Amino acid sequence: MHPEKDVKCYAVVGNPNCGKTTLFNALTGLRQKVGNYPGVTVEKKSGQFIGQHGEKIELLDLPGSYSLNSHAPDECVTRDVLLGLRSDTPRPDRILCVIDASHLERNLYFITQVLELGLPTIIALNMIDLAKAQGIAIDVLKLSEELDVPVIACQANHRETLLSLKLALSRAEITRSSWAQKLPSPWMRAIDGVSAIWAHAGEKTSQRDPLVRMKSLLLLASPDAEIESLSKEMKAGSALGIALAQRSMLDRELPLWREALVSARYDRITELCQAAQGKSSIAGDAMTHHLDEILTHPFWGWFGFLGIMGLMFISIFVVAAYPMSWIETTFGFLGNCVREIMPQGDLRDLISDGIIAGIGGVVTFLPQILVLFFFIGLLEDTGYMARAAFLMDRVMSKVGLHGKSFIPLLSSYACAIPGIMATRTIENAKDRLVTILVAPLMSCSARLPVYALMIAALFPKGTVSIWIQGAIMMGLYLFGTVTALGFAWLFKKTILHGETPVFLMELPPYRIPALKHVLLQMIQRARIFLKRAGTVILGISVILWFLVSFPKNPSSHVRNSNTSPQVAITSVKSDKATQLEYSYAGHFGHWIEPVIAPLGFDWKIGIGLVAAQAAREVFISTLAIIYHVESDEENPSSLSTTLIHETHPDGTLVYTPLTCLSILVFFVLSMQCISTLAVVRRETNSLRWPLFQFFYMTGAAYLASLLVYQGGKLFGLM
Amino acid sequence: MLREPSIPSMIKLSMSSSTNLTPLSEAKAGSVLSVVRLDGNEQVCRRLREVGFCEKAEIRLLSRGGQMICHVCGTRLALSRKLAQKIWVQPFSLSLSTSSKK
Repeated sequence: MHPEKDVKCYAVVGNPNCGKTTLFNALTGLRQKVGNYPGVTVEKKSGQFIGQHGEKIELLDLPGSYSLNSHAPDECVTRDVLLGLRSDTPRPDRILCVIDASHLERNLYFITQVLELGLPTIIALNMIDLAKAQGIAIDVLKLSEELDVPVIACQANHRETLLSLKLALSRAEITRSSWAQKLPSPWMRAIDGVSAIWAHAGEKTSQRDPLVRMKSLLLLASPDAEIESLSKEMKAGSALGIALAQRSMLDRELPLWREALVSARYDRITELCQAAQGKSSIAGDAMTHHLDEILTHPFWGWFGFLGIMGLMFISIFVVAAYPMSWIETTFGFLGNCVREIMPQGDLRDLISDGIIAGIGGVVTFLPQILVLFFFIGLLEDTGYMARAAFLMDRVMSKVGLHGKSFIPLLSSYACAIPGIMATRTIENAKDRLVTILVAPLMSCSARLPVYALMIAALFPKGTVSIWIQGAIMMGLYLFGTVTALGFAWLFKKTILHGETPVFLMELPPYRIPALKHVLLQMIQRARIFLKRAGTVILGISVILWFLVSFPKNPSSHVRNSNTSPQVAITSVKSDKATQLEYSYAGHFGHWIEPVIAPLGFDWKIGIGLVAAQAAREVFISTLAIIYHVESDEENPSSLSTTLIHETHPDGTLVYTPLTCLSILVFFVLSMQCISTLAVVRRETNSLRWPLFQFFYMTGAAYLASLLVYQGGKLFGLM
Repeated sequence: MLREPSIPSMIKLSMSSSTNLTPLSEAKAGSVLSVVRLDGNEQVCRRLREVGFCEKAEIRLLSRGGQMICHVCGTRLALSRKLAQKIWVQPFSLSLSTSSKK
C-alpha cells in the first residue's frame, strides 16, 4: 500500500446556499467566506483534515449548482471538475453531497444527477436542526435506502453530528449508488447510441460507464446554441454528429423530449420525498414569509432598503469617531516620541514624517472600514442580499441587466475585487462583462478614508451634525451607484448590446446572523487593510518621503536652536515650504499642475492624485507626508485641520468647499486600483477590457470634476 | 406527478380547464397552481424546468408586484414579471383530473 494513494479526495457539491462552505470550514478548520445567499463560493477551494484512522482526507469545495446542465461560469467549474474536464484538477474519486434538509425536494434534483456519475458518494443532510424547527421530519434511513448511499444527518455547529460525518468520510470503501434515472425509451436509445460512439473513441471506457452515459445525456440535452462548444469541451469528437442525429430522432419520436427529461426526474423525486418525509407543508418558514411581506414590498421594501443604508452611513461616523481619535492620538504620540528620542537628521525625519505620518494617516480610518464591513457582514448573513437584488431588479432591468447583477455591485461596496469575482454567477457573458466594467464605480472601502477626510475638511468639527455628514457620505455612495447604472445602460446600448436577461433567483430563508461569521470577516478585512498599510502604503510612503525631501534645497540652513522660538518657527516653516517646492515631487507636481488646475487642484493635490493611482488610500498618506514635511513639527495637528488652514501663495484657501467637492467627485469616479485592474484582466482574459475600464473611468472622473469646479465657479461658488 | 385518485366532481370541473389557463403573471396571489406549459426559448425553458417550474408541478404564488415570489419545490423563488408571462398555469385542483389520465 502506498500511503500517497490512501489520500481520499472528496468533491463537496450541492445546491447554492445549502451550507457547503460552512460544512467545509467546520471539517477542515479553514475560514472560507460564508454567507446566506446563493453564489458566495465561485471558485474551487481545497482543504484537508485528519480522518478517524489518522489518514489525510482532502476536501474540494465547489461552487453551488442547481444542475449539471450548467448555466453560469461558477456552475461550469463544478460540472467540469465532476466530469474530469479540467486540466488543473484531477477528477475527484469520491463525492460529498450536501443537502439542505429543509429543502430536500429542490436539492435532490442536482444530487440525483450527481449520483448517476457512479462515483462513491456520501450525502450530508445538512442543517437538520433548521428542518426540525420547521416541523420537517426526514426518515434518514429511508432516504439512504432509496438513494442507495450513506446519508448522514448533520449540522455544521454540532460536534457530535460532525463526528459521525467524519467517520463516514473515513471509510475505506464506499459503495457506488445504483441510482439510475428511468427515461422514456426513445431517450434511452439516444443515450445508448451516443455512448456507443464515445466508448469506441476512448479505449478504456465501456458503453455502460456512467461517466460516458452522463456526458452523452448532457450533450443531448444541451440547447442548440451550446451543443458545439460543449462537445468541444468534452472532447466528444465524432459523438457530436451522432448526438445531433439522435436529437432529430427524439424530435420525431418524442416531441416533448426536453420536458420529459426534467419531469421524469422530478416525478421520481416527488415519490422519494413522499417516502422519506411525507407531504411537506407548502407554507414554508413563517418568519421569512412575514419579513418578506415588508422587505420585498414595492413601497415598504424601498423604505427598508434606504433605512438600512442610512443607518450604515450614520454608524460609520458615530460609532467610529472615538476609536479614530484614539488612533490619531497614538500616532501623534509615537511621532513625538521619535522626534524626542532620536537625534536630528534624515533618518529621524524619515521615520516621523514619512513612515509614522503616512501610515498613521491611513490607519486612522480603520474603525470606519470595520463598521462598513460589520454592516455588509450582517446583510450577507441574514439573507437580505437576495432581497436587495430582488428590489433592485426593477431598476436593473431598465438598465438592461437583472437583479442578480446587483449582488456583485453591492459586494463592491466592500471591495471591487470580490465583487468582480461574484459576477461568475451571471449566466450571460455580455451581462457579466458589463457588470465587471461598472463594479469599480461602486464606492469601495478604500475610498471611505478619502471621503471621510474631505467631508471633515468641508465641515470643520462641530459645524454640522453627524446626520449631515452621514447624508453626504450616503450621497457619494448613491452618486457612484447611479453612475455605475448609467454606464451599464450605456454599455448595454452600445458596445455590449443584448436583450435584458430574465430574473430568476432563490430567496433564502432569513436567519439570525451568526456574530462569529460577521466578526471573522471584520478581522479578515482588518488584517488585509493593515497588511496593505504595512506593505504598499509603507513602501510608497518611504519613496514619497525621499521624493519630497530630496534634492535638498541648498539655501536651507541648519536650524539654530539658540534663536528665539518665534523666529525659529517662522524660518523653519518657510524653509520647509521651499524645500518641498525644490524637491523631485515638487517639480513633478508643478509639471502636472496645468492639467489639474482646471479641476481646482493645486500641485500638492496633484502629487497625491498621481500617488493614489497605486491605491486610493495612498492619497491620504501622501497628503499627510506632504503637509507633515512642510508643517511646524513641534505642533502636529490632525490632517483635516491642516487641510482647512492650507492656503495658496496669494493667501486664499486651497481646500475651498468647491475644491473638496471636486476632489470627492474625482474619487467617486476614477479608477485608482492596480489590484482591481489585474483581477479584471484575469476574469476577462484580455488586456483590452481593463485598459478600457481605466480610461473610461479616469476620463469620466476628469470631466465630472471639471464640470463641478468650472460650473461651481460660474455660479459664484468658492 | 400526482398519485392521488381523482375525485369524480373534479373531472366535471376539468371540462372547463382550458379556459382557466392563465400566465403566472396574471394569477392571484396566494393561489395554488399547477404549471401547464412553458413558452420562450430553449435555455429559459430548461432553466425554469430545472428550478421546479416543470410541467405539472405544484406551485404557489406568494406575492406579486413588479416581481413575483413563488413557492416551488419547498423554496421561495423570485422571478420577473416578464418571465412569469412565459409560464402558463391553471388552478391546482383542476390539474388533479388531467394528470390522472396518464
